[in-house]
Amino acid sequence: MKSEIQFSQFDSTNIRRVRKIKEFLDSVELELSEDIEIYVSAKEDEQIIACGGLSGKILKCIAVAPHKRGEGLILTVMTYLLNAAYNRDRKELFLFSKPKYLSFFEECGFHLIQRYENEIMLMENTHNLQEYKDNLIKLKKDGGVIGSIVMNANPFTLGHQHLVTEAAKRSSWLHLFVVKEDASEFKFKDRIDLIKKGVAHLKNITVHEGSDYIISKATFPTYFIKDKGKVNDLHAKLDLYIYKNHLAPALGITHRFVGTEPYCKVTNNYNQNMKKILEKEEAGSKPIKVVEIPRIEFAQKAISASRVRALLKEEKYEELANIVPPTTMEFLMKEVVNGRYN
Amino acid sequence: MADITSCGHAGTLESSDVLIHIEPSQDIEINLISSVEELYGDDIKALVLEVLEKMNIKAVKVDINDKGALDYVIKARLQTAILRALEDGDKPDWSLL
Amino acid sequence: MRLRRSMLFVPGSNTSMVCNAFVYKPDTVMFDLEDSVAISEKDSARLMVFHALQHFTYADVETAVRVNPLESPYGLLDLEAVIRAGVDIVRLPKTDTVDDVLDMQNAIEKIEKEIGSKKETKLLAAIESALGVVNAVDIARCSKRLMGIALGAEDFVRDLRTQRTKEGLELSAARSHILLAARAAKINAFDSVFSDVKDKEGFIREVTYIKGLGFDGKSLVNPNQISTLHSIYAPTKQEIEWALEVIEASEHAKKHGLGVISIDGKMVDAPIIARAKSVIELAKASGVMGDDEDE
Repeated sequence: MKSEIQFSQFDSTNIRRVRKIKEFLDSVELELSEDIEIYVSAKEDEQIIACGGLSGKILKCIAVAPHKRGEGLILTVMTYLLNAAYNRDRKELFLFSKPKYLSFFEECGFHLIQRYENEIMLMENTHNLQEYKDNLIKLKKDGGVIGSIVMNANPFTLGHQHLVTEAAKRSSWLHLFVVKEDASEFKFKDRIDLIKKGVAHLKNITVHEGSDYIISKATFPTYFIKDKGKVNDLHAKLDLYIYKNHLAPALGITHRFVGTEPYCKVTNNYNQNMKKILEKEEAGSKPIKVVEIPRIEFAQKAISASRVRALLKEEKYEELANIVPPTTMEFLMKEVVNGRYN
Repeated sequence: MADITSCGHAGTLESSDVLIHIEPSQDIEINLISSVEELYGDDIKALVLEVLEKMNIKAVKVDINDKGALDYVIKARLQTAILRALEDGDKPDWSLL
Repeated sequence: MRLRRSMLFVPGSNTSMVCNAFVYKPDTVMFDLEDSVAISEKDSARLMVFHALQHFTYADVETAVRVNPLESPYGLLDLEAVIRAGVDIVRLPKTDTVDDVLDMQNAIEKIEKEIGSKKETKLLAAIESALGVVNAVDIARCSKRLMGIALGAEDFVRDLRTQRTKEGLELSAARSHILLAARAAKINAFDSVFSDVKDKEGFIREVTYIKGLGFDGKSLVNPNQISTLHSIYAPTKQEIEWALEVIEASEHAKKHGLGVISIDGKMVDAPIIARAKSVIELAKASGVMGDDEDE
């Protein structure tokens, strides 16, 4: 007898409902993000008229049907999403949306981190970026060439070591950021530990823990599912702009070093974007020179972390010893003895 | 004195309401986002302090996103958030509310 | 006698409704803590209503709260809150038997005693099942706190294994029975909500119908329905004219010490005078009474 708006919350196991969300998002030209855990939907007369999703600490896929805009539905959807996050003890949150909805989300307590043209923006509900930048400024070094590298090092190989050593040679000071997200085979703690051991011979380097603002699930969610080859170009660009406009200025970075990428299309594409964006002359930010350093090879094959992981799986430890530094080898063997790769 | 040892939240972002999140802290810390902050920011903070004092809470971080809520709405939401964070919050002492 | 034509349902979880309901001037504001409030918001709605009841905006309007059943984990907490906050009426949900009323009455008395309240909180029993309708006569008479009984149609039709229709034939037996039980016990009778807020015509038809049956009023879900309902309940010009004549005659008789009053040769006794007074009161409340007609 009555028609009213019904809000519901469900998770990704609810396949029928998720499918309807996907259809709705299609109709408003948004893509369903595959990593969403919690969905919120508003229905009227059995039709979805608004939705949103929570993935980790990131809110995304938030949409209202065009004919239902301006009725404050977004505030209720946001309330549900925030409650879902708070109930999971996630308080410091990020949000992806289109830049034209900036003011809506500002009303909900979020503020802009970075936008990319009219395509995408990232917001946060804390002042953590500012705090992070304030801390970086304290680590700023003087010099002509202030180099930087961002690496996951999963795990640290001779290839990584070569890249870092070369970059350090060409820099007055080198800042090395380690991707912090624990979404790779090797844990952050182990990855950064192996890097520190592997660069101990260099005196002009700071090894930084990464953060949410540099290749993280917040800035670049699809990086962590890149094996599926589904990296979102927009996320890559957003990540690079955050680097260019926020992190690099804090440390006075002038150069970014990357290894050439012969195998991985996704990484190669990221490197191409990097050149385009970081080197571009734009008002409000200084261009950063991108320097590609050729990868070293062993037995006619470029050394890569994925090769290391493959050799580990195949238990070809002798071959492995040829492409990782002794410090990494020692760690890997200890792990093998402890049965981690059985 | 009641100790806040876990997080709590209450309210909505809808008009006339307020969304409040509280978490453990060393002292009392109030962060307010409000469309009427310039006009009523101090009043809202005073109200929060009054509620905390009555409930005997000496340390907590309170985040408030106000959507033009009346005083009693802010009171009700803050108390709900606190009771949700307290272990025996399901049996409130009504004389403190 | 208090006018209770409109009883506006206000979900305790809907903050803007809680804050603004008084503006629409219903005869009674009924805050709901039961079915309209999700399990996860029972606590927040309870506190919101607790504070609203004590706010000055609700000082001059009659307030009722539909609490959760006592056997639920929320019922007693709801009572604790609303009695302390000084609610006028507690609406019991799903009243099937006399014991349901007496249990609620005992629980309320206990809290009133505990806090030393002088106020005698009234009760309104919502009858929402076949069993409740069958027991309505006993329920209506079982407590001096009971100010009325109300039909809760949504659950009732489910219990009857039918659905609600706009014609309302499925409710006719229950409506008649509840009305008779209330009148026999000299308490108020309230009709159920009409939930399709877009169907104004249907609403007018239903209100005209239940007013004709004799109901004192109706629960409402939308503030926009209040003025419509009040205007339907407003007395007609003829009714007002008749009432004014009755009152005039009775005052004349009183002044001159006449024992028997008659108009057009018909006897006017005390119940008729009371009825006339309530017509005038209703006319004033409905805003259909000109100043020149005022006594």
